[in-house]
Amino acid sequence: MVVQWPYGFGPNITMKIARFGEASLNRFLSKDFLSGLLFIGFGLLALYFGQKLALGTPVRMGPGYVPRMLSLVLVGLGVLVCIVALVSGSDPVEKPKWKPITLVTIGIVCFALLFERAGLLPALVVLILIASLANEEFKLVEVIGNMVALSVLCTVVFKVGLGMNISILRGVW
Amino acid sequence: MELFDNLALGFSVAFTFQNLFYALLGCLLGTLIGVLPGIGPVATIAMLLPITFHLPPTASLIMLAGIYYGASYGGSTTSILVNLPGESASVVTCLDGYQMARNGRAGAALSISAVGSFFAGTVGTAIIVMFAEPLTRMAQKFGPADYCSLMALGLVAAVILASGSVIKAIAMIFLGLLFGLVGTDVNTGAQRFTFDLPELSDGIDFAPIAMGLFGIAEIVVNLERHLTRTGGTIKVNSLWPTAEEIRRAIPAALRGTFLGAALGVLPGGGPTLGAFSSYTLEKKISKNPSQFGKGAVEGVAAPESANNAAAQTSFIPMLTLGIPSNAVMALMVGAMIIQGIQPGPEVMTKKPDLFWGMIASMWIGNAMLVIINLPMIGMWVKLLTVPYRFLAPAILLFCCIGAYSLQNSTFHVMQVAVFGVLGYIFVRLGCEGAPFLLGLVLGPQMEEYFRRAMLLSRGDPMVFLERPISLGLLITTALLLVLMALPSFKKAREEAFQEES
Repeated sequence: MVVQWPYGFGPNITMKIARFGEASLNRFLSKDFLSGLLFIGFGLLALYFGQKLALGTPVRMGPGYVPRMLSLVLVGLGVLVCIVALVSGSDPVEKPKWKPITLVTIGIVCFALLFERAGLLPALVVLILIASLANEEFKLVEVIGNMVALSVLCTVVFKVGLGMNISILRGVW
Repeated sequence: MELFDNLALGFSVAFTFQNLFYALLGCLLGTLIGVLPGIGPVATIAMLLPITFHLPPTASLIMLAGIYYGASYGGSTTSILVNLPGESASVVTCLDGYQMARNGRAGAALSISAVGSFFAGTVGTAIIVMFAEPLTRMAQKFGPADYCSLMALGLVAAVILASGSVIKAIAMIFLGLLFGLVGTDVNTGAQRFTFDLPELSDGIDFAPIAMGLFGIAEIVVNLERHLTRTGGTIKVNSLWPTAEEIRRAIPAALRGTFLGAALGVLPGGGPTLGAFSSYTLEKKISKNPSQFGKGAVEGVAAPESANNAAAQTSFIPMLTLGIPSNAVMALMVGAMIIQGIQPGPEVMTKKPDLFWGMIASMWIGNAMLVIINLPMIGMWVKLLTVPYRFLAPAILLFCCIGAYSLQNSTFHVMQVAVFGVLGYIFVRLGCEGAPFLLGLVLGPQMEEYFRRAMLLSRGDPMVFLERPISLGLLITTALLLVLMALPSFKKAREEAFQEES
């Protein structure tokens, strides 16, 4: 049997009931609640690391005055975001896919580590290889082709064109 | 006439070989990234910021501006031909543009959109010329307290346009302001949040943050979604619209231009807002709204003109007051700071060649874009066939090299990685990056003005309410906040974003 709810109330009420029925953990894994925690976290970090900065007086503010003010407001807003999220609900966080973000980050870090020690070419090869692994359609031939094309392009643009002081292969060029 | 002298100066600067070259380069790059989905103007400008350090200030700003408005031309091409908006301002163009193309009117849709955009760009540039001087003169009367309130207004107004929760967007502003304070305190020389890293003592560099937040996070999200290109390419026949199409397009383009120009000036406004509002307006005033979504000429002419007009006029608050109204403008402020120019009313008086040269180049750039886009349409469409699996690593690589070249240090590359992860977290949690970026850019200045105002008033915070300009600005800010909390406004805002997604 279909119960006719007064217009505007039906879906809301059913949704709220459904939410109540689910594991209460979901309320805490919502986008807004976690964002609130993020803001509180950053605010507290700023308070902790800024505690040694002199506050000064309102007339002659020290280096710590404005940061302290901002961090307190940030913590307050974070708490507010959390409360609103718990009271009125918010979308659940989608399950993250770890592969792309992890591989891309590792790729950039490897590039940073290799660039000055080994030169542009090795750093480029490693970055492109790792970043391409993040894609589901990985074809080695294509990736190698991409590496060759990009090495030529980067050498021409950055080393020759813009005359940047970078070595292509450490100790060689 | 002072105005004509200024314009003459502007054109003499813009017409030098070097500046013409960089305007063309910017327009080409803008069209390119406008055509390619998965990379927008924000990420591109962030990527190129370090490179602009090697260019003269005028040339670099001309190029970056070209990327911004070029992207809105390029984005419309793919919207019309393959139903894929290259960037957010062209999303509405898909609705009727692609339908026109399917009805065999692809050429007409393209030329209406290009000519409409050019007209709107011209009007937008003219509006900048007219408003720049009075606004600058007004801004010169501003004291530190007024500036502080103006920035507060700018930041709050930007929140209206962030989708999702208002409190979250405001929290993002504060987070951005806080990140902006990292580095040496100007007044006392104290190190703040530098963790004894010498690289941080000059503050967190703006470019790696923007690259990480917008570039890297965007790439990762696209990789997750497994971005693939679909949709058959439509052949372009004659570029000439019929007399009937022209008759319908002209009034729509005019309305779009003026609505877009008005919305572009508002803090927080920009091309996307302009395009959406003008499409809604056309649909409302049309005699037969049922045509919309089935290839209505008005549905292409109006939003395309509006997004370009808004792209132009959104320069006004940035150029005259130094207040960026959206993420791209925040990056332009960053580009000026890299060049050692403090954006604000002094730019026009102290660097008239840069100011007027840039404005003149915008008009030239718009003319170039019509040529780049119409006859060369085939080339741009071919680019669409480049798969994202080639593009993503290439964009990553350019980000890394760009970050390194900022100060020849791999520290900045690491920073890109860190802010990439943070940006990804923001996307996952539905936190908008734009308010963060605006806060980051305005943070240091706002603190300066705040401390100076308090020093001048001997520590009395009432100074912000006693000065009439500051009071007016703060009242407007408060009204905006109240407005955003109203249920009816909240609903309208949510609906607007529904259409966007």
